Amino acid sequence: MPRTTTLECPGCPSLRALTFDALGLIKVIEAKVSQGGAPRVVERWGELDSSKCVLAASINDRKDDPLLAVARKTGMIEVLSAINGDIRFTVSNANEDGPRPEDDAVVGLHLFAGQKLELTSRSCTLLTCTTKGNTSMRSIEVTDSPAGSASIGSSNTWSVCSSGNILCSKVDGSEKCAIFGGKGVEMNMWDLDNCTKIWAAKSPPKNSLDIFTPTWFTSSTFLSKDDHRKIVAGTNSHQVRLYDISAQRRPVISFDFRETPIKSVTEDLDGYTVYVGNGSGDLASFDMRTGKLLGCFLGKCSGSIRSIARHPELPVIASCGLDSYLRLWDIKTRQLLSAVFLKQHLTNVVFDSNFADGEVKPSVAADLPLNADQIANETEIRDEEETLPVKRKKASKEDERRKKKKATKENERNKVKEASKENNGSEKKASKENEGSKKLKSKKSKRSKCEIHDES
Amino acid sequence: MGYKRKKSESELEPEIENDRKKPMMRKEEKEKEILPSTIKNKEKRSEVHAKLKHQKKLEKRKKAKARDAAEKRALELGEEPPPKMVPRTIENTREFDETVCKPDDEELFAGNDADEFGAILKRERTPKVLITTCRFNSSRGPAFISELLSVIPNAHYYKRGTYDLKKIVEYANNKDFTSLIVVHTNRREPDALLIIGLPEGPTAHFKLSKLVLRKDIKNHGNPTNHKPELVLNNFTTRLGHRIGRLIQSLFPQDPNFRGRRVVTFHNQRDFIFFRHHRYIFDSKESKQTDSKGKEAKDAKGEKASQERVITRLQECGPRFTLKLTSLQHGTFDSKGGEFEWVHKPEMDTSRRRFFL
Repeated sequence: MPRTTTLECPGCPSLRALTFDALGLIKVIEAKVSQGGAPRVVERWGELDSSKCVLAASINDRKDDPLLAVARKTGMIEVLSAINGDIRFTVSNANEDGPRPEDDAVVGLHLFAGQKLELTSRSCTLLTCTTKGNTSMRSIEVTDSPAGSASIGSSNTWSVCSSGNILCSKVDGSEKCAIFGGKGVEMNMWDLDNCTKIWAAKSPPKNSLDIFTPTWFTSSTFLSKDDHRKIVAGTNSHQVRLYDISAQRRPVISFDFRETPIKSVTEDLDGYTVYVGNGSGDLASFDMRTGKLLGCFLGKCSGSIRSIARHPELPVIASCGLDSYLRLWDIKTRQLLSAVFLKQHLTNVVFDSNFADGEVKPSVAADLPLNADQIANETEIRDEEETLPVKRKKASKEDERRKKKKATKENERNKVKEASKENNGSEKKASKENEGSKKLKSKKSKRSKCEIHDES
Repeated sequence: MGYKRKKSESELEPEIENDRKKPMMRKEEKEKEILPSTIKNKEKRSEVHAKLKHQKKLEKRKKAKARDAAEKRALELGEEPPPKMVPRTIENTREFDETVCKPDDEELFAGNDADEFGAILKRERTPKVLITTCRFNSSRGPAFISELLSVIPNAHYYKRGTYDLKKIVEYANNKDFTSLIVVHTNRREPDALLIIGLPEGPTAHFKLSKLVLRKDIKNHGNPTNHKPELVLNNFTTRLGHRIGRLIQSLFPQDPNFRGRRVVTFHNQRDFIFFRHHRYIFDSKESKQTDSKGKEAKDAKGEKASQERVITRLQECGPRFTLKLTSLQHGTFDSKGGEFEWVHKPEMDTSRRRFFL
């Protein structure tokens, strides 16, 4: 008999991710719970041209008209709609007298979410940073002409470093500061409104053997969205460092992770966990308050992890890299939810959080018509869940029931339970009935009371 | 005391068989089901095991004879013979791999155009290979390298000295080499091969084993200077395709077919077998006449009733196997390198899963 260990990949929750690869393509991957939670490539934007390799990407994830900014190797920065890939406008990052874009590649890109200036809603602000340190912040107004040209409103350009190459940059949650670091460039933080450097790091002292490792930061991020004072940076010599601006210039905590350069660092929403990916495909999560390794994500990733993205709502992270796979992981169990093969070396991944699959997230609602909608949707959800493996059903059911417990309206509770009772009656699967019976046993007494209320 | 009883039972068996069949049949069946591994007595156990094996052999022979007879009968009668059974092999039952290259994949073609070997494979640059070793001496290393120099046209050997590999990459780039091969030695035997594409190509690290030099091959031939034909077998997945292109970029793209020299890289179960042959086509007449025409190329004879063209091979050059351990993006950089593919033990979940 073939000796195999099969790892069943549970499906992912409904989500939508966009990946960017070395041939300049943007692929949209969607996973729907209704289709078994297996993510598939639904769209592919861009032409196959390796000179248009995507170097950096940033998404402005707002509800109406989400925008996506993409920086390519040719020096062009395109802003597209995140829903259908239409190019809104293209801006060239090259200066007339500066170095050619092929020599001075774009390293960091950020599309500002908030409105910087009192302009109409058809403007957006971009921050770009190149390897030689030329950083510019432009605000661009989109005109109505069909060619999609844009007029550059105001732009600020300044140089972040005098020597060395910038390899990583990040803008913080409040969009007032940005950090830059690279080869031969210590981490430094700039204030974006005034374009001044407010803090620079100092390298740790020589170690006990008097060996001084040269500065080489390969990835960096802010530890929390609200606090711009704590920074996590990964180096080429497989070290992860935590800096605190308000404390000191040397790193507060510094620890090693495996043996290849740290290629990407991403923070979690809780403000103290970071996800670290290195050059040989190891992905791990660390608690930055203590510097302790929480665990590694095991999932046969054999290529360098270039980018990690954390979903803004669901407990899912996506990692993509040089092995051409996009992998989706569950945060709490560190289990691989699924992997999608995408054929090229991937450079970036972002999540689009406004993706709804017809699932209504149970929210505290007051109106009766809304209740009816909710019931209808929830029955749909139950039916859809039949196709998923058992593990997933139990987890999601538990979540839904917990959410229902938290809902304060009694009417809702009654109606939901009635719906669940109907469902249980109609379903034939034994597992569901068992589940139902287990969970409803504790609520039987309550339910009966509620029903009496209703009937009366 | 169980074994004694079984012994006596088996002795009694043939006598009692004839008298009472039905209850005895049940007992026989019970005895047939006794596994030899449950019998504690070694002599008895080996006796039962030998008996079982002999029975199985007889059954197998009977089946084969029946099959042959059925086929012969069908051929005589002019009907179709029963279909030949295909044995189940590991290659047949290989796990489904979604990274296998499909023939109509435009992203694959675009990737090929854009990748590091595109220039060489489109004949814009001619391959020029630099071969060197690691810093330690080895007994078979120099012989292996001299054979490699004869296999790969336009290859040059430079002694290693004490240069850093990164410096060597720089020197090679300055002198317009297209690839760098480093033969690494362990315990005085060559055991790893590093193939670095230049100027910024990927670095493939292979484990080298089962090296047989030319002098150790019986009836070996001597290679000529003609440009060899290259045969790359079974590189199906995307990773395999990339490695295939890396190997292809070592050799010139215009083979000289008249030189009848072929170099084969055959991939099977993630092991790449390297062979170097000289070949010749012969047209073999029917078995009775046995006339061999010399140099009858492409004579796929349909004229005579039993004329076949066969290829005769003469092996020359070394014979070795390679196994990919890692593929690094960019030139060799042990500390700062990022990997496109690295073998991790957690990937070996199945005996039927291969990566190349």
